[in-house]
Amino acid sequence: MSTPLRGKDAQSLDLSGLNLMQDDDAVQADEPPPKITIAREKVLEEAKQALQGDSDKRAVNLVVIGHVDAGKSTLMGRLLYELGKMDEKKRVANERASGKIGKSSFSWAWEFDGTSEERERGITMDVASQIMNTPHRQITILDAPGHKDFIPNMISGASQADCALLVVDAATGEFEAGFDRGGQTREHLLLVRSLGVGQVVVAVNKLDQVEWSQARYEEICSLLRPFLVQSGFQPSKTRFVPVGAMAGINLVKREGPEAEPLNVWYKGPTLVDYLDELEPPTRDITAPLRFPISNVFKGQASGTAVVGRVCSGLVQVGERLRVLPGDETAVVRMIDSEGDSLQWAAAGSSVTLYLTSIDPVHLNIGSVLCPPSAVIPLARSFSARIIVFDIQVPITTGASIELFHHSRDVPASITKLIATIDRATGTVIKANPRVLTKSASAEVQITLRTSAYSGPATIVQPIPLEPFSVNKEMGRVLIRRGGETIAAGVVMDILSS
Amino acid sequence: MKLNGKHIDKNGAGYVNLRPEDDEDMWHLYNLIQVGDHVRAPAIRRVQNVSATGSTESHRVRLNLTLEVTRVEWAPARAAGEATAVTDNANPNAQQTSTAGLSISGRVVVENQYVKMGAFHTLDIEANRDVRIEKDEGGWDSIALARVEEACVPGRGAEVAAVVCGEGSAVFCLLSQNMTVILQRLEVPIPRKMAANSSVHEKGLQRFYSQLYASFLRLIPYSNPSIRAIVIASPGWVRDSVFDYIMQEANRTGNKALLGVRQKFVKVHVTSPHVHSLVEVLKSPEIATQLKETKFAREGIMLDKFFKMLGTDEMRAWYGPDHVALAADRGAIGTLLISDELFRASDPAVRKKYVELVEDVRQKGAEVLIFSSMHESGQQLNQLTGIAAILTFPLDVEVVEAEEREAKEEEERRKLEAAEAAATE
Repeated sequence: MSTPLRGKDAQSLDLSGLNLMQDDDAVQADEPPPKITIAREKVLEEAKQALQGDSDKRAVNLVVIGHVDAGKSTLMGRLLYELGKMDEKKRVANERASGKIGKSSFSWAWEFDGTSEERERGITMDVASQIMNTPHRQITILDAPGHKDFIPNMISGASQADCALLVVDAATGEFEAGFDRGGQTREHLLLVRSLGVGQVVVAVNKLDQVEWSQARYEEICSLLRPFLVQSGFQPSKTRFVPVGAMAGINLVKREGPEAEPLNVWYKGPTLVDYLDELEPPTRDITAPLRFPISNVFKGQASGTAVVGRVCSGLVQVGERLRVLPGDETAVVRMIDSEGDSLQWAAAGSSVTLYLTSIDPVHLNIGSVLCPPSAVIPLARSFSARIIVFDIQVPITTGASIELFHHSRDVPASITKLIATIDRATGTVIKANPRVLTKSASAEVQITLRTSAYSGPATIVQPIPLEPFSVNKEMGRVLIRRGGETIAAGVVMDILSS
Repeated sequence: MKLNGKHIDKNGAGYVNLRPEDDEDMWHLYNLIQVGDHVRAPAIRRVQNVSATGSTESHRVRLNLTLEVTRVEWAPARAAGEATAVTDNANPNAQQTSTAGLSISGRVVVENQYVKMGAFHTLDIEANRDVRIEKDEGGWDSIALARVEEACVPGRGAEVAAVVCGEGSAVFCLLSQNMTVILQRLEVPIPRKMAANSSVHEKGLQRFYSQLYASFLRLIPYSNPSIRAIVIASPGWVRDSVFDYIMQEANRTGNKALLGVRQKFVKVHVTSPHVHSLVEVLKSPEIATQLKETKFAREGIMLDKFFKMLGTDEMRAWYGPDHVALAADRGAIGTLLISDELFRASDPAVRKKYVELVEDVRQKGAEVLIFSSMHESGQQLNQLTGIAAILTFPLDVEVVEAEEREAKEEEERRKLEAAEAAATE
């Protein structure tokens, strides 16, 4: 043989150049996934006790809604301060910084409006959440944006809520602007009701701007009451309370000279008293876990953090979870709630899960975590029973819409109008209607839209959905078109495509 | 497209020689060629020869083939992210090359020295090569001829580049007279804001802007004079931030070409970050005034008008082939909206029906708009059965249907009576 033998070393050198033999350091560095430390039955038992027990504080998720500039963020910022959740130092810092850019009136809202753009514009753009403690409740506040362009974010927040706090602006003309057609007071109320929220506290804000006029307060209440009933809120579950958010009047207490004009005619409970009475709904902890992801970010340590609310079932540390849509699984390394590390979290709790053994690219906002043994179905097409809102342009077959489900927002179209239904009895009024006009109830077929223009259709990614009869929380959808919510509905059947 | 020769007799039979030049022309050809037509185009065919000893040799021959069409397939230009990159990345501002594909399958009907009669072949239509389309009697109807004419008008139409964006998502599109091409979809995960710290969110936003800028430079032929407007559309204020970022980067890098077209940028508010917001872009006052004479802007405005009419006066907005035909019978149609998809029906009888409908409606003085299904407005019309009409006077669908039924029953009764009369005689 004329060619010199290439030594084994040379060969392995070549191979090492290809990185074939190399150990993947990144994987090695990851700590081994934690083991399940507590038996499932025991967790279930504990969770049941926690939900029934009155000794512990019961957890409620509260979404704050209302027209743009009603003072939602300001009210919540001030409330946190009154409850001692925000310290003096932070208040002073916010006050000084907001004064510097000439927006001192927004200083209370800065607690929630964290991004520079929000602060500059003085408007909430995305949902912020904070936890506050009242004597008997632990309340997770979701401060929703009021501006109509950010309703997708508001829906994402509202779908995590059990109760709602509606803030209305009492100033002359302002309440009307929010309550008239196209105002967000109406749309938000309809949205939260359609997403399953039954209890609402109405805070009539900025009464100080109308000299604490009782007549104005009564007028607003009398305008709102019929609308609330009409939207499906029971009068026994609605409360009204006059407040002045900037000065902090009637949030926790009514004291001092500024509150005098209110004390003259208002003797009822304060806002916090009402919030303390909110009833958490019954939670389904025996159903399979459903955890829709509303935010993904990189954790401080290794792993990826996902934020969301446990819709049903239980999650515990060490559990392996499937991410849908997709084929990936992840292991729960840690469950975090307001800085406290938990062993488990049950339906209804808003938590941050730290996941390992997964590439973060597979975790998207809108994905759902579930146990590998009971995965949520994926749908491209489904039938739904919808209630049409007050719309100008009727819904026709093939109408292009945006479909909202938890934090997900996808283009879709109404492919078939199956029937219009009598809302009270559920009987079919007319099969195959030509159009759906306002306030109709109907059964329709909705199909996700492919994005390609003619030619070979690209396959559209299905979304996780469950029929309402199986899981209430995962079976509610909202339908929007042209920046307007046109209908809300529940999923009846998932159609195989 | 260039028209190189045309011979059509009074019965609508004959041929047309065309030379396609870009994607749009391919789309026109796709709409012209029907099953059953004879198409002659250059092709490359592998020819196998068996020698006397039984060994085979094969070679490729370039030749002209004439097929009797059995299938026409259209592959729209692919977004860069979806398929392999097809655009010339090095020089995006050069003349755009054709990327859409059109393939025509069928049996060879003209024999030559290499290919036998009846052999199957699939032609890939290429740009700048002549194509000859031959149709039988009645094949060249008014719609087809109008399309040939329209396709051959030089320097037609405006092109608009649009970026529809939301927080963390952007879609780059190019709109021309007859089609919307989606160049790329960009999705950057942005962690949502958290009360405590907003830096992750802002970092994500920065990453999004810089990726968007890079894609913008690569995909949008901004310095091309045929681009009339560059639209940045979004809900919220993303469009302002995006525009500011683009201008700031152009300034920083000294991109004179980009700075020079600053006045072509238009910021439009839309309600959702999805592609179907393009309809809203087209009907926004900023764009509508600039493009009001173009066909695709008109389509968008008319479709919007139809939907509005459906809301305000349901009896003057009809859709669905049967209903529209009834309205046409009554001479009620003011504007007919019809999708080109209906004319591509493989059954010539169906096509003929629609051609007749269009001719009839036109004759009565109504406006007819043939929507391109490569546009968002056309897609929406397709979803709505592909045909719709705005009527000049209100007609109740139910009443008209009842009338039709009565007329039919009447006719049957008459027939029956006639038959009875015949029987008794």
